Amino acid sequence: MSIATERPNPPEADPAAAAGPPRERQRFSGSGPLRQIQVLSGRSLRALREPALVLPGVLEPILMLTVFSQVFRSVSQAQSFPAGVSYIDYLLPAFLITSAVSAGLKSGVALTTELNNGIISRFKSMPIHTGTILIGRSVADTVLNAVNMVVMLVAGALVFGFDPEGGILGSLGALLVAVVLGWSLGWVFMALSAWLRKPEAMQPVGGMVNMVLLFASNAFVPTDGLPSWLRAFAEVNPMSHAITAARSLALGEPRPGTVLMTLGICTVMVAVIAPLAIRNFRKAS
Amino acid sequence: MIDVSHISKRFGSMTALDDISLTVPRGSVLGLLGHNGAGKTTLVSILSTLSRPTSGRARVAGLDVVTRGEQVRRLIGLTGQYAAVDETLPGRHNLILIARLLGATRAEAAARADELLALFDLTDAGHRNAKNYSGGMRRRLDLAASLVGRPEVIFLDEPTTGLDPAARRQLWEIVERLVKDGTTVLLTTQYLEEADYLADSITVLAAGRIIASGTAAELKERVGRRSVSVTLRRAEDRARTVEALRRAALAPSHEEDGLLLTIPVADSTDVAVVVRAVDEAGTDIAGLAFSEPTLDDVYMALNHPTTTDSEAGTSS
Repeated sequence: MSIATERPNPPEADPAAAAGPPRERQRFSGSGPLRQIQVLSGRSLRALREPALVLPGVLEPILMLTVFSQVFRSVSQAQSFPAGVSYIDYLLPAFLITSAVSAGLKSGVALTTELNNGIISRFKSMPIHTGTILIGRSVADTVLNAVNMVVMLVAGALVFGFDPEGGILGSLGALLVAVVLGWSLGWVFMALSAWLRKPEAMQPVGGMVNMVLLFASNAFVPTDGLPSWLRAFAEVNPMSHAITAARSLALGEPRPGTVLMTLGICTVMVAVIAPLAIRNFRKAS
Repeated sequence: MIDVSHISKRFGSMTALDDISLTVPRGSVLGLLGHNGAGKTTLVSILSTLSRPTSGRARVAGLDVVTRGEQVRRLIGLTGQYAAVDETLPGRHNLILIARLLGATRAEAAARADELLALFDLTDAGHRNAKNYSGGMRRRLDLAASLVGRPEVIFLDEPTTGLDPAARRQLWEIVERLVKDGTTVLLTTQYLEEADYLADSITVLAAGRIIASGTAAELKERVGRRSVSVTLRRAEDRARTVEALRRAALAPSHEEDGLLLTIPVADSTDVAVVVRAVDEAGTDIAGLAFSEPTLDDVYMALNHPTTTDSEAGTSS
């Protein structure tokens, strides 16, 4: 070091402005959990004002929709395919579900990123409830997911000729199932993230879970055409139930049992996993 | 204000902190000095309620950090090693966000944010996204964020690591201002110079243990490695210069045939004595520098190995 280790003159600025007078510090009153959730979810949604962050989320499903509807169109000629149904009407409800899975995965990856860049440590050192950090993210991601899906439905109707028997009401029902599924999977991936901590661990693990859930299901082709071992898994895969439920609503042949079971499974999953996620998250530092 | 009593922290078989006790009086600055892996960050995490000690007790403002974490969090501000701000948000929004979480109304939050932006010289940058900030601006924003709630105690975990000297100096001045307001500060650093400048007392940590503590002056006394180095232009000036320095009661040393003279000194005012002696000898010099002891000198003086990463690698 050079000679410049001498102290400079103390700064002239009014010190009281920095942290209040020494004794009686003017302190904010503290906030309740609802305010915390509102502020934290607002934060996540505000960050998405940047087009560079929003566009991929919207474009990706539309791009995939294009690819799948063209590549797999021949599937609708297969014997096991329901008669009189166009492939896009069959595909789009499933697509709502698959994008719900991707949205859930994104929640988890985003959380690991924040666990490592220090912002979470800042929140955890503040007088707020740890759980509201996760709940805030869940609320924001669920809202965002719903918006993305509306875009998909509209694009599907305008560009790809999506016009199912169930009409607008049935499509909205399918959307509701997908949003609820995305909400519950968001918690699954956040729990995974609180446990794995590192984005470089979360990305591949999440990707694997995502892929198994997606492809070992009836999302893209009817399960009847699958080899028996894969079919066995596809039929217990919760994704398949969600897809069946969404499809039945969109295609105008609602299966209340499957719909209720899907919503029930999702709610139970959140009830069990959310407290675990919050507990793990509290310990992670 | 901070009272740490026999704190230990183990991760599996690894001991990150081993029986640490220290106190920081209200309104003073404790410098926690140590290399990476010495346990500095682990201690800060415990004191800021982010992790629990394996054994021992710690209190902030008389409140136990484990059993009364909620109340402790009302009194503290934490600035970590990484600038913990939301990079996707403008600087001003970051501060408003924190204020809102602390219970401020929208108007109060905006007022507090503007006040802090002005204080930290960030008013013009307030509307830009934090990811476009320079390193120094980001650290300032981070520090501002931890001051939103007007905390009594601030934890600064390596606040200037990676900053250029000007940005470092600016941050030091801010910390000095806080201390003048009566804020208690616990600062971790790898730079002896920084602890010397800011801290009232210094605790040196190595491999999770306290190896020395005292005032900066006491510590430097024990280390005694301040020196002035003079680089000569011509070797034939050497004998004359050495003689002049000796007359000034200094003890220069040099390598045989070397142009570099190293002169141990008591403090920086002796630089003037060196300059006078060199001038008196009429020597033409190529360079002159004053060097403070470094953390490595401290470790060496305390007879402690400088590389401790293998023993305690998880503090960061």
